[in-house]
Amino acid sequence: MRFISTAFYENFKMALDTLRGNKLRSFLTIIGVVVGVITVMLISSIISGISVAVSKEVESFGTRSIFLYKMDIGIRTTAPTREERMRKPLTLDDAEAIGGLSTIEVAVPFLDISNNFFGQKINVTGKNGKTSSSVQLNGTLPQMAETTTEVLIDGRWFSAGENEAKTNVIVIGDFVREAYFPFENPIGQTLEIGGQEFRVIGLLQKREQLFGGGGGNNDQSNIVYMPMGAALKLKPNADDLFILAVAREGYLEQAKDQVQDLLRQRRNVKFGDKNNFAMETAASLIDQFQAITGGVFLAMVIISSVGLMIGGIGVMNIMLVSVTERTREIGIRKAIGAKQRDILTQFLIEAATLTGFGGIVGLLIGWGLSFLVQLVFPSYVPLWAPIAGFVASVGIGLIFGLFPAWKAARLDPIESLRYE
Amino acid sequence: MNDVNGAASSNGTAKTASADSIISMRNIWKTYQMGTEELHALQDVSFEVKKNEYVAIIGPSGSGKSTLMNLIGCLDSPTKGEYWINGNQVAEMSDDELAHIRNKEVGFVFQTFNLLSRATALHNVELPLIYAGLRAAERHEKAMASLTAVELGDRVTHRPNELSGGQRQRVAIARALVNHPSILLADEPTGALDSKTSIEIMHLFEKLHAEGNTIILVTHEPDIAERAHRVITIRDGRIESDEKIK
Repeated sequence: MRFISTAFYENFKMALDTLRGNKLRSFLTIIGVVVGVITVMLISSIISGISVAVSKEVESFGTRSIFLYKMDIGIRTTAPTREERMRKPLTLDDAEAIGGLSTIEVAVPFLDISNNFFGQKINVTGKNGKTSSSVQLNGTLPQMAETTTEVLIDGRWFSAGENEAKTNVIVIGDFVREAYFPFENPIGQTLEIGGQEFRVIGLLQKREQLFGGGGGNNDQSNIVYMPMGAALKLKPNADDLFILAVAREGYLEQAKDQVQDLLRQRRNVKFGDKNNFAMETAASLIDQFQAITGGVFLAMVIISSVGLMIGGIGVMNIMLVSVTERTREIGIRKAIGAKQRDILTQFLIEAATLTGFGGIVGLLIGWGLSFLVQLVFPSYVPLWAPIAGFVASVGIGLIFGLFPAWKAARLDPIESLRYE
Repeated sequence: MNDVNGAASSNGTAKTASADSIISMRNIWKTYQMGTEELHALQDVSFEVKKNEYVAIIGPSGSGKSTLMNLIGCLDSPTKGEYWINGNQVAEMSDDELAHIRNKEVGFVFQTFNLLSRATALHNVELPLIYAGLRAAERHEKAMASLTAVELGDRVTHRPNELSGGQRQRVAIARALVNHPSILLADEPTGALDSKTSIEIMHLFEKLHAEGNTIILVTHEPDIAERAHRVITIRDGRIESDEKIK
C-alpha cells in the first residue's frame, strides 16, 4: 500500500512535469475533454435552474391545488386536437359542485375574457393615456381570497355583495400597476376596460418570473381580476373557464378522485372512456416538465460523450506519440528496475492527469459560463455535474491511455535502450 | 549440476553452493534465429566473478560482448545454461522478476549516461529507489549520500544538460550505486568522454573498487581494460582468454 501511494505520487509529479514540458501539445490534446465537460456543466446547470424555477413557480399556485380545464394544460408539444377544441367548456356550476365536495376546501372559477364578444382583444386604458390589449382579464368569485395563489399586498378582494351587484371593481397585478400607475397608489384609481370604468380596490404581490426580471406582455403579473358578473357584462358569451380547486390538507389524492368522478359524471363521460377535461396538480405539472428535461438531459449526455470521446482519441494518439518519443526513457527505467506494472501505471497516470486537467479546466470555464447564464436565466450548477465531469474526464484518460500504456509496458529494455 | 531444468524448478529462491561468487555463469548459450539459420551469439560461456573483483570484458564488435553484458545485467535471458547472481538463479526468470533483480543486484553505467533529461541529478539517482518502494525521506537521504560519494553533492538540483559529460557519468554512477547492488556493470563508460575526463572516471572506478564494490567493465579499448584486475576476452561468442593481470 505504501508502495502504491508512493508510486502514485511520484507518477503524478512526473506526469505534471511532462504536461509542463509539452504545454501546447497538452493543451491541444485536452480541448475535446474541456468542451465535453463544459457541455455537461452548462446544460446541467440550465436544466437544474429551469427545473427548480418551474417547481417553485408551479408550487406557488399551491401544492394542494388541482387545476381543471377543458383542454390539456401544462407543456404542450402539439396543437390541441379537434376533439379537444370541440369539448364543451367547464361551467360555473361545475365549480360550485366541486366546491361542495367533502375533500375540497375551496373551488374558484376563472373566466378568461381577454377577447371580447367579437373575438377581439379588450383594451385597458389608463388616465395616463396608456392603452394595452394584452392584459389578461379574469372574472372570478370572492372565494379567490381563500386561495393562496395570489397574494394581496394592498387593498382587498371584492366582496360577495360586489359580486352579486356586478360592481365594476378590480384587483390588479403588479405589472398593471407599473404600466398605469407608476408613481401613485393605484387603490381608488380607475381604469377603463372595454369602454367601462373600473375602480381598483386591490394590488397583488409581484410574481417571481420564470425567466428573469422582465416578462413583457406575458408577465404573469399583467393581470386583472374582477367579479364574475362584471366580466360577463363585458363579454356575455364568455365560456373559457378554468377552475382551481384546493384540497383539504392531506386529502389531495382523495380530492383528485372525487373531482374526477364528479366531472366525469357531470360531463357524461362513459365508463372506460378517457376524461374529456384536463386535471393537473403541481406535482403532475412538475412531472410533465421533468419528462421533457429528461430528454434534453439524454441529449446532453450524448453530446458531451461525443466531445469526451473525441478528446479520448486525441489522448490515445498523443500518448502513442509520447511512448515512441520516450522509448529510451522507458528502456532506462526498465534497466534500473521498473516492472511492466510500473511503466503501465506511469503512462496511465499521465493520461489520466492530462484528461483530469482538461476536466478541471472544463469545470472552471463551465462554472464561469454558468454564472454568466445566471444573469439571464435561472441556472445553478448541481453538485453532481462537476463530480461527473471530473470522473468522466479522468476515466477517459484511463480508458484511452490503456493501450499506449500497455504498449510502453511491453517494450523490450534492450531494444529501447538502443532507440535513438 | 548443469541440468537447466533442475535448476529452473528452484529458480530464484534457492541459493547456490558457491557462496563466494557474486556471478556464476555455467554453459551459457545465446542463440538467435535468423530465418532458417541459427546464430550463436554466445557459445558455452562459463565463468565466475567473486566479490570485490574488478573484471574487464573485452572483445571486438560482433564478438558477443554486448550480448554477454545484457545477460550479466539481467536485461535478457540465455537460451541455455545457468546464471546465478548473488545466489539467485535468473536464467529462467520472468520479465518482472528480472526487473526486480536489476533493481537490487545490478548497477548499470552506460556509454551515453542514459539519464532522464528532464529530471534533476537527485531525481535521477532516486529513481531506482522509487522502484524499490522506498519512502521519500529515505530516498532523499540515500541519493544525497550517493551523489556526495561521487563528489556531486553540490550539483543535486542540476539537470543533465547543465552538467559536463564527466559530471553526467558520475551522476549515472551514483544512480548505479544507490541501491548497493552486487555488481557495478559498466558498458564503455568512457566511450563518450574526452581522455582527461576518462581518466577521472577510471580513477573513480578504482576508488569504488577499493571501497569493496564488484565491478564488471565492458569495453573494446585495451588501455581501459588494462586498468582492471582481470581481463576476459571474448571472440566469436566464446571466451578466448581469462587472465588475472594484477
